[in-house]
Amino acid sequence: MKKIILSAFAISALTLVSCNTDFERDVNNMTVSTGKADFSKFVSVGNSLTSGFRDGALYLDGQNESFPSMIAKQMGLAGGTQTFTQPLMPNNVGGFKDLFAASGNTEFYGKLTLSPTLSPTPSAPGANLDVIGGTGKYFNNMGVPGAKSFHLVTPGYGSAANLAVGKANPYFVRFATSATTTVLADAAAQKPSFYTLWIGNNDVLSYATSGGSGVDRKGNLDPSTYGSNDISDPNVVANVIKTVITSLKTANANSKGAIANIPYVTSIPYFTTVPAKPITGLSATQITQLNAAYAAYNAGLGQAKTANLISEAEFNQRRINFNSGFNGAVIVDKDLTNLSGLGLPSLRQTTANDLILLPALTLLRDTTIKGGTATPLADKYVLSEKEAAKVIAATDAYNASISSLATAYGLALVDANGKMKELGRAAGIQYNGVKYTASFVTGGAFSLDGVHPNGRGYALIANTFIDAINKTYGSTLPWVDINAYSGVTFP
Amino acid sequence: MKRILITTALLAGVFSYAGGFRVSLQGVKQLAMAHTSAHTEDASIAFFNPAGISFIPNKLSVAVGGFGAISEVEYQSLETLQSYKTENPVGTPLYAAIAYKVTNNVSVGLSVTTPFGSTVKWADDWTGREVVQKMELKSFYFQPMVSYKFNDWASIGVSYIYAKGMVDWDKAVTNLGGTLNINDEKATGSGFGVGFYLKPSSNLDLSIAYRSAVIMKAENGVATFTGVPEAVLTSPQLNVGADGQDAFTAELPLVDEYTIGLTYKITPKWLVSADFNYHGWERYSKLTLDFENAQVGNQADKTVLVSPKNFKNAKTFRIGTQYMLTDKLAGRLGYYFDESPYEDKYFIPETPSFDASVVTAGLGYKFGKLGVDLAAALSFPQARQVDNAYLNFKGQAKAKAMYLGLGFTYNAF
Repeated sequence: MKKIILSAFAISALTLVSCNTDFERDVNNMTVSTGKADFSKFVSVGNSLTSGFRDGALYLDGQNESFPSMIAKQMGLAGGTQTFTQPLMPNNVGGFKDLFAASGNTEFYGKLTLSPTLSPTPSAPGANLDVIGGTGKYFNNMGVPGAKSFHLVTPGYGSAANLAVGKANPYFVRFATSATTTVLADAAAQKPSFYTLWIGNNDVLSYATSGGSGVDRKGNLDPSTYGSNDISDPNVVANVIKTVITSLKTANANSKGAIANIPYVTSIPYFTTVPAKPITGLSATQITQLNAAYAAYNAGLGQAKTANLISEAEFNQRRINFNSGFNGAVIVDKDLTNLSGLGLPSLRQTTANDLILLPALTLLRDTTIKGGTATPLADKYVLSEKEAAKVIAATDAYNASISSLATAYGLALVDANGKMKELGRAAGIQYNGVKYTASFVTGGAFSLDGVHPNGRGYALIANTFIDAINKTYGSTLPWVDINAYSGVTFP
Repeated sequence: MKRILITTALLAGVFSYAGGFRVSLQGVKQLAMAHTSAHTEDASIAFFNPAGISFIPNKLSVAVGGFGAISEVEYQSLETLQSYKTENPVGTPLYAAIAYKVTNNVSVGLSVTTPFGSTVKWADDWTGREVVQKMELKSFYFQPMVSYKFNDWASIGVSYIYAKGMVDWDKAVTNLGGTLNINDEKATGSGFGVGFYLKPSSNLDLSIAYRSAVIMKAENGVATFTGVPEAVLTSPQLNVGADGQDAFTAELPLVDEYTIGLTYKITPKWLVSADFNYHGWERYSKLTLDFENAQVGNQADKTVLVSPKNFKNAKTFRIGTQYMLTDKLAGRLGYYFDESPYEDKYFIPETPSFDASVVTAGLGYKFGKLGVDLAAALSFPQARQVDNAYLNFKGQAKAKAMYLGLGFTYNAF
């Protein structure tokens, strides 16, 4: 018996020795590998998304949470003395006082902040445009807010003199090495061993955020003829991206990189916050009044149809009717047949396939203006189904080129579009218990401008880049902790 | 060999974190022998088996004791290569018991214990802060009991359980820039215990006991949002008062437990004990918080938040021994293996749980009617994978735990 008991204890002791109380691999002792990549000189090329722009402005805290700066930090874990310089703004508000005044107080304001009633409100700009670049002054973060693809290769885009004539970008004027250089030239001069390239967003975005007020330039290969709200031709975008890749290859034959595709505008709160049929809860009196007010317009449409000026389909599309359920907002749609000869404006109600833009929210809520009912929403407040289709078609074409260029040059392809779609689902993206969605203000991932991510959204993007880099080059860069970055600042 | 083992155990001087939030620390003497149950020397048997009080050698017996429980949990993410440790305060489970023989056949007793509880404190800004920053659970069991002795070798006992409890849970509400506190200090519940105690021969004890589940009902819970702006609080999205408060109700099961215990006296000085426990954790399949107004739920009714827990029934195996080194001094040793009540995919950082091997040791000394017991236990929880898909919380976790106990018994007459 004694033996049995002792054996039992002996077995217990052995069990203890054999059971693993410690981590098999402790993260504090794990090394980060660069794989086939060389992260010693990392340069990021792109637009506002690369710069860390958010809340409608470029400001210090945002820049310090730019996705390239996050990636650079993780690259630093692989060893080497990695420095990642950014053209930091001189304050934490952003905007440019002088350009704000010159624009008639419409552009270059400071960051948006939430009022106590949760309306994003622009701050006064923080300072005048400050030039921090010049000969020999290079920055690893070459993100230029507002840049379209072809701007990367446009000489004079950083020339202060060109600002007045609208041919330069103040953000590049700040840090260009010369008045004649290009964004690409300044990037290539740094001979990056590794780069990220995310460009093409603004080639569709400005069209979309202007409610489709520009022109789809498909087939026009001369970007110098484009207006600021036009959709760039897909070949123009593809050629620029190819030029960037080959130029960086020429600058450093061993360069490697990651290139991201373009998210659909339908994934971002600027286009998804306002429901397509936003007019609800009308009283019987209101319904009667509204329908009476539009009766003459509807009657006019009937006459136009009889006169064969518009089709049956357009007649039905344009007829305005309010009921007690969910109603489309009355909008001006420039794509409708012009019936001004009959004294009829180009009005219709939105359908489930129209995207009403975020700025329309205040008009819809304004009880004096009565946007969408008594006062039609202007064309610029709506990306119509037809306009949205052009944006999606162009985005698809850009993304097809980005994908094939990534394959052709062996670059890591970052599916930013896929990740943003995932975020846009009702289920969103869970991370350590936090549910991130594309909801405006409360979704946790987007900043107050409804277009750019906040710190946590940029961290999600950084991790998407890191996944693609690790997959392509066999490196083991760790993710950043999304929850550790800043979200929306509440009042 | 014996000496080596004793030395190892004493050096280890140890204790452990039980499965789920069951804290098996209801007797210092018992703990020293792996918290085995079939020991009727004094009133501390009362919690383990109400029938056992019939076999206490004295007419009146009192037992009191307390523990210091030190624990630390570490989580590491293989994705970010970051690790986080808890800053848990020292836990202090307590117990007291009294037993009295009314007649030769009838005994009554009262046991007061803290059998369930847990305090887990992570840093306020750790990566899992949305799930938990701090979670404190406490329970008190008040168990009056009566035992009937059929004859010299068999008794039956029953107890009624009245339980009081509190929950205090802080978590971040990351996307609204604030925190949420879930608090109820006045949860109550009730249950019962029943047991048989047998002494078929002078050197064999057999204890069979069942303690029912106690469903703790939090009827007057208060949920408090802090740091969330008023416009968000009162918006339809959240729909709580401008003071950030809302009421909630919830139920938390303190699960049932089956125990079979055996003690065999090999010699008059030397006994061995073994126990098997079966814990009904399956009952904790989900946690439902029903808010009065707050729209923070995930059901059709947006005031109802259901979090999956998916616990499974768990077992504990215990083996312990006592050797009377002198007439008055007892040396004790034990080992037990405690199963975690959930799988890797259900790991939750507010109730970290591990399969654990625990080594126990202790001494008891009799000063006449007064007995003083010391116990120590060191737990060796197995490091585990964390793969909670519901929270998308992944990585690995490990823990350390140690328990020290000091108990007194007084067998009056």
